[in-house]
Amino acid sequence: MSSSIYVAGVGVISAIGNNAAENLASLAMEKAGIGDITLLDTIYREKLPVAEVKLSNDELAAITGLPSNISRTTLLSVAATQEALDDAAIPGFGTLRTGFVSGNSVGGMDKSEDFFVDFLADSNKGKLRNVFDHECGSMTEIVADKLGISDFMTTISTACSSSANAIFYAARLIKNDVLDVVIAGGTDALAKFTLNGFNTLMILDKEFCKPFDEHREGLNLGEGAGYVVLVSEKVKNTLSKQPYCTLSGYKNSNDAYHQTASSPEGTGSYLAMKGALQKSGLTPADIDYINLHGTGTPNNDSAECTAIKRVFHPHYPPMSSTKSYTGHTLGACGGIEAVFSVLAIKNKIIYPNLRFETRIEDMPFEPEKNFLTGQEINHVMSNSFGFGGNCTSLIFSAI
Amino acid sequence: MLTEKYITGNCTISKGAVSKNGLTVFENNTPVNAFLLAVYQHLQLNYPKFYKMDNLSKLGWLAAELLLKDGFDKEAYQPEEVGVILANANSSLDDDLKYFDSIKNTASPSLFVYTLPNIVTGEICIRNHFKGEQAFFIQDTFDADFIAKQVNYLLNNNILQACICGWADVIDQEYKAVLFLVEKQKKETSVAFSAENMETIFKKDQV
Repeated sequence: MSSSIYVAGVGVISAIGNNAAENLASLAMEKAGIGDITLLDTIYREKLPVAEVKLSNDELAAITGLPSNISRTTLLSVAATQEALDDAAIPGFGTLRTGFVSGNSVGGMDKSEDFFVDFLADSNKGKLRNVFDHECGSMTEIVADKLGISDFMTTISTACSSSANAIFYAARLIKNDVLDVVIAGGTDALAKFTLNGFNTLMILDKEFCKPFDEHREGLNLGEGAGYVVLVSEKVKNTLSKQPYCTLSGYKNSNDAYHQTASSPEGTGSYLAMKGALQKSGLTPADIDYINLHGTGTPNNDSAECTAIKRVFHPHYPPMSSTKSYTGHTLGACGGIEAVFSVLAIKNKIIYPNLRFETRIEDMPFEPEKNFLTGQEINHVMSNSFGFGGNCTSLIFSAI
Repeated sequence: MLTEKYITGNCTISKGAVSKNGLTVFENNTPVNAFLLAVYQHLQLNYPKFYKMDNLSKLGWLAAELLLKDGFDKEAYQPEEVGVILANANSSLDDDLKYFDSIKNTASPSLFVYTLPNIVTGEICIRNHFKGEQAFFIQDTFDADFIAKQVNYLLNNNILQACICGWADVIDQEYKAVLFLVEKQKKETSVAFSAENMETIFKKDQV
């Protein structure tokens, strides 16, 4: 048993930057990555804003050393995991019991969509290579091979809480002495499948999203990947630099209310936050910043608000949704926001909730509007709530 | 690890007839939409979400309602001890096609959220607060051996203490649901849980 789980490295690629340093710079400059669609081939160009990673598949391939004809989901994952592993710089990595736990929700759908354009026109056409890696687990296998991880790998696909659950699961693998090091987080690329699906649900904002605002009208889809390198106490003692923080609490819970929507009472999110606090042995007053799930949809934000009120009233810590920068990256958001949470502790900063104007009616709190520096941040809660009411909260704590 | 298992109840909805434990409780020869509503009204149920469901969920949900009505002691189980294992041949195609039609005008969110076959298992679990294992399989025809193997594994290993299993399939005007309640305690009307007994009950509407 490892008593604590340490975060030894981070890696992130999103619409606001291709690595952690670039993401941090955009966060500080309050520069959102949302804009017109330029890479995804869709009828919604110039109609729906999205948060694209600013690199083409060719450019991602050049960075990662992989071919450009594989799924963008995989390319994004390799970019972020390589950064995380380099950052952690674990001595004797190859001699340790290593694992890769990765969440995603679209898998190789982008390539399957390419296949179907040709196949539907002529059933003798269509490159089968494009559907070969359709399945979510394919992403994880290709990346694990690339990273040289063969002891353990698995894929978690629980919609928007996928990568938070991956981190949660990785922590348990270390805690129970199954593995020494786990790279955990998630990845998702934009695809017609998700854009059209969310559009059908009528929860996409045609303007830039306004999380936690009374006049919010929906989310903007994003893409990216975010990973943390979790290590055991034993491995932590061999590191040449101090780890960032610990992962001190985690909890998953389920609403069991509706296929997509959260329950109005925010039951799942309430239980997730409450359980994560309990796991970490902290009280609500100990939390110094909440990185909200905050998608910008009327339903999520009101349920999350209600749940936060139930947990934190009357002492509300600063909170913000960084989806106002990155868009909602679905299976990647828990990983990306875990990285942001870790960086908040390390750099003593709190991120603003961009474009916030009006407090949600009847709520006694509102998100942070300014980029704050020099903050004493000991404990950060990161929320990730998925379709089907699958809710996860993680807590990162300063060492 | 082998434990005794019994089919303590069964329910069939097929060809305009509803039966429980082999006895016909309702008949109504109308098209599928009207028929499912008539069953709902006949059972005097009050669950507004029913009206939002697609036909597959309505069919499976109604069968589960009747299956669990009178005789199922929900209090005897923890939520995690009851599971649902279902199968069908047409997945959610009945709703998928309706959704596909809706795209021509405005894609319908309410049809979209039912374009997965396992939503029916979710509806049954939400209604009854079941939180045990659940799975939904697609098969050409009802494969009693396969279902029995799944359920045996879950009950023998104490992963579940009770399980609803069976078949729920609808495509256009064709529909059939046959659900079995499997428990470890014997009841007056129960028969041993086996692929053969499920098969026999499943085929009853064909005579």
